[in-house]
Amino acid sequence: MTLTHSGTPEDFVPASQPELSRFLSENATSAHQQIFPVGGRTSLSVCCPDSHSGTLVCMSQLHRVVDYPVRDMTITVEAGMRLDQLNEIVSAEGQRLPIDVPQSNRATIGGVIATNTSGPRRFSYGTIRDYVIGISAVDGAGNLFKSGGRVVKNVAGYDLGKMLVGSLGTLAVISQVSLNLRPKPECMQLVWFEFSSCESVDQALEAIVTSGTRPTAVEYCNSKAARQIVAESRIELPMENHVVCICYEGPEKVVKWQAQQIIEEWRSFSPLSVQIIEGTHAARLYHAFVEYQTSSDDPVTLKAMLLPSQMMSFIETATRLNIAIQAHAADGIVYGHLPDSASSLEDVNQILEQLTTGIDSRTGYLTIYQCESDWSESLPLFCSPPAGWELMRQLKQALDPQQLLNSPRFAKLVKH
Amino acid sequence: MVDPANQTSHLSAPVLEELERGSGPFSSLIQQLTQIVGKKALLYDADELLVYECDGYIVDKSAPDIVVFPTSTEQVSSIVKICNQFNVPFLARGAGTSLSGGCLPIGGGVMIVLTRMKQILEINLRDRYAVVEPGMVNLHLTNALKGTGYHYAPDPSSQGSCTIGGNIATNSGGPHTLKYGVTTNHVLGLEAVLPDGSIINLGGPTAETPGYDLHGVYVGNEGTFGICTKAIVRLTRDPEAHRTMLAVFHTISDATRAISEIIAAGIIPSALEMMDQGIIQAIEEAFHFGFPLDAGAVLLIEVDGLDIALDEEVRQIVDICNSHNVREIQRADTPEERQLIWKSRKQAFGAIGRLSPSYCTQDGVVPRTRLPEILEFIEATSEKYGMRIVNVFHAGDGNVHPILLFDERDQDQIQQVLEASEEILSKCLELGGSVTGEHGIGVEKINFMSRIFNETDLSQMEKVRNIFNPRQICSRDKVLPPHQTDLQASVTQSHPGRRAPH
Repeated sequence: MTLTHSGTPEDFVPASQPELSRFLSENATSAHQQIFPVGGRTSLSVCCPDSHSGTLVCMSQLHRVVDYPVRDMTITVEAGMRLDQLNEIVSAEGQRLPIDVPQSNRATIGGVIATNTSGPRRFSYGTIRDYVIGISAVDGAGNLFKSGGRVVKNVAGYDLGKMLVGSLGTLAVISQVSLNLRPKPECMQLVWFEFSSCESVDQALEAIVTSGTRPTAVEYCNSKAARQIVAESRIELPMENHVVCICYEGPEKVVKWQAQQIIEEWRSFSPLSVQIIEGTHAARLYHAFVEYQTSSDDPVTLKAMLLPSQMMSFIETATRLNIAIQAHAADGIVYGHLPDSASSLEDVNQILEQLTTGIDSRTGYLTIYQCESDWSESLPLFCSPPAGWELMRQLKQALDPQQLLNSPRFAKLVKH
Repeated sequence: MVDPANQTSHLSAPVLEELERGSGPFSSLIQQLTQIVGKKALLYDADELLVYECDGYIVDKSAPDIVVFPTSTEQVSSIVKICNQFNVPFLARGAGTSLSGGCLPIGGGVMIVLTRMKQILEINLRDRYAVVEPGMVNLHLTNALKGTGYHYAPDPSSQGSCTIGGNIATNSGGPHTLKYGVTTNHVLGLEAVLPDGSIINLGGPTAETPGYDLHGVYVGNEGTFGICTKAIVRLTRDPEAHRTMLAVFHTISDATRAISEIIAAGIIPSALEMMDQGIIQAIEEAFHFGFPLDAGAVLLIEVDGLDIALDEEVRQIVDICNSHNVREIQRADTPEERQLIWKSRKQAFGAIGRLSPSYCTQDGVVPRTRLPEILEFIEATSEKYGMRIVNVFHAGDGNVHPILLFDERDQDQIQQVLEASEEILSKCLELGGSVTGEHGIGVEKINFMSRIFNETDLSQMEKVRNIFNPRQICSRDKVLPPHQTDLQASVTQSHPGRRAPH
């Protein structure tokens, strides 16, 4: 069986947490099969796993609401619940989980936590780590454990939820989660700015630091990415240059005021064009931004984590290399889709080398976010080692002593 | 140095006995520590050590054998390595404002006080972070940022004295937690000296770093994972404007229902603090703010953000309060009036001295909608024990701070305080909450851990702790209940009593 397989009778589909726990316990004591936990299978290629034999643990049947005390603005759900299902339930109460998730009709909350998925809204709302108040999971030996609880403020014990966020299923299989929720805003508008150069973009982004407005999101895309995002949104927008798209959310009066205010503030940076997008168009365009990070068919997707002040020089280099770039610009998170012309490992490595040169290794990281499985063995996952690596290795050893949980992925983490 | 064969076991008593004054190892230890920090940065006189025998939690006391004041990460690392060499337990302390015994040196040992490591190493507004040393007083960072348009959001009530390192150890909250979150939401990365003396970096100044979120696990470890020597903290935009008001209610239940409805209406106030009748009377007697003495509860409500947004939020809040029988709403129209309203909240604890010679503050949490039940229970507990209990707390996030008033000269009352606290915290758990919202487990609530978590949960936490602190030589016997077979070093029991809650 391979990880990219769409499901076979050999997949294990637990109907309850105890069943999941029993299965992993039995596997640890007898079968010693590699376990690949999967949710909506939307992120199987994140961090470049290869095809490996083992058992898929499909969380699709663990999708129930355990508890939803509406007025406490918290919800406890099983990890296999799909994001659209979750949003539908809380939206009916005027609430939301303000995390952007591509393919939210398929993605599960457990998968979002395991992959630490985020999108444009992270600038003002943070990431999923800021919303997990309690978590249950099963480790490689079958131990079902929890940390945190169901109240928004709680410091009893260590915050094991944090260690599972972004752990890619290598430490434990997330089975249940309690989340903090936020009120749903009344209105959203986007302001689409087109600039002629990276330099003017950089100046405008620097001005965000002192802007009189409070954006929900600040997105950048170069013309190559803009063309695809615009095509996906089906809105006519200028896209031949550098684009910065600012999002505002809140009461209508406040959103409209901010959109006008940012146009006024950025006049001095001489944008080539400005356009306010509202209503259903705004929703469609925003959706296109959220989907873009995983929508590419390109052979390799990069993810860079940079200081915002150092981001545009990286983007300038990447654009020169014909890489399509989308960035959560105020956070310094950059996604780059390599061009089709990068058709060999040598090409890709050459591009990586050029990109890495421009990164301050003390404060920035370049990672392979997704790539074709044929190449995953040969590409470095991190272009510089993450801090605290030895502790990460020990953590994996402590929770999964037999290295049964998604270990090929963990091996990728090692190979930096 | 660390003996791998000895991992996961507690330090043995004979090792600690070697620390007795006058013994060869003790003198040698002093000599080596002096070489690192100099004579003026070392205390080992019994009288001077008394200052460090407890923090804000004064029920249990245990003096360290040596107190040392390093000024750099390298010094901390060297001190820790020497403690390992002598097999002597050690722990870090900041300003000592912890309220659960987080920096209680159980069984003695070396206390590493970080108050001389208090520099701001970097402020980077463009990238929205600051790098500070752990002994930096929280308020001093805020003051240093004044005028920049940015601030460090976590603001415990003790922010005038508590340190950033201590805030990280306990994952501190504060009045503005409801909107801005707790410390863990604002720590991007850190440098720490691990219990073997090695120096590590976790996370970093970027919004995200690859691999496991170890700095996230580190925040809230209560000093058991090593010693934080540098913190990279996120800076937050200052709100353009505030609207602050005091809503006076006939009854607590009206006030708590109003709280629920405000949040259900989609408004997240930046602060939502409740004071009950008992505390109102104390404040009024002490400071004469003009609160009606017969009011059931007063809510301090503050919203912040863009000026253009706030009047509508205030209108909605006033409507909601009116629909819950509010008696009157006072609004602060000037910065001075806002300061006065906040003064009433922040001086609440100063006023308690007028009510009672001693008091004990608890730190339970319940889901916000269960506030009426826990408050009723607290009132019933007050009646049951014939003990006055007043309440001032962060109502928006369900974190209650019942203050039990008593006379520490009366042994029966001390026992009653302990029993009443136990009952209140147990009720918090029964209502789906927790026994600590911001003060931590420390040594105070360690017995509750096995009621909140089962053996497997605790075992997983222990595994994580053992990765950082395999010999438990650092900040021993905190957070996780010790195994029955382990040595439990003795502490001296004193009297219940606390300072102001966060």
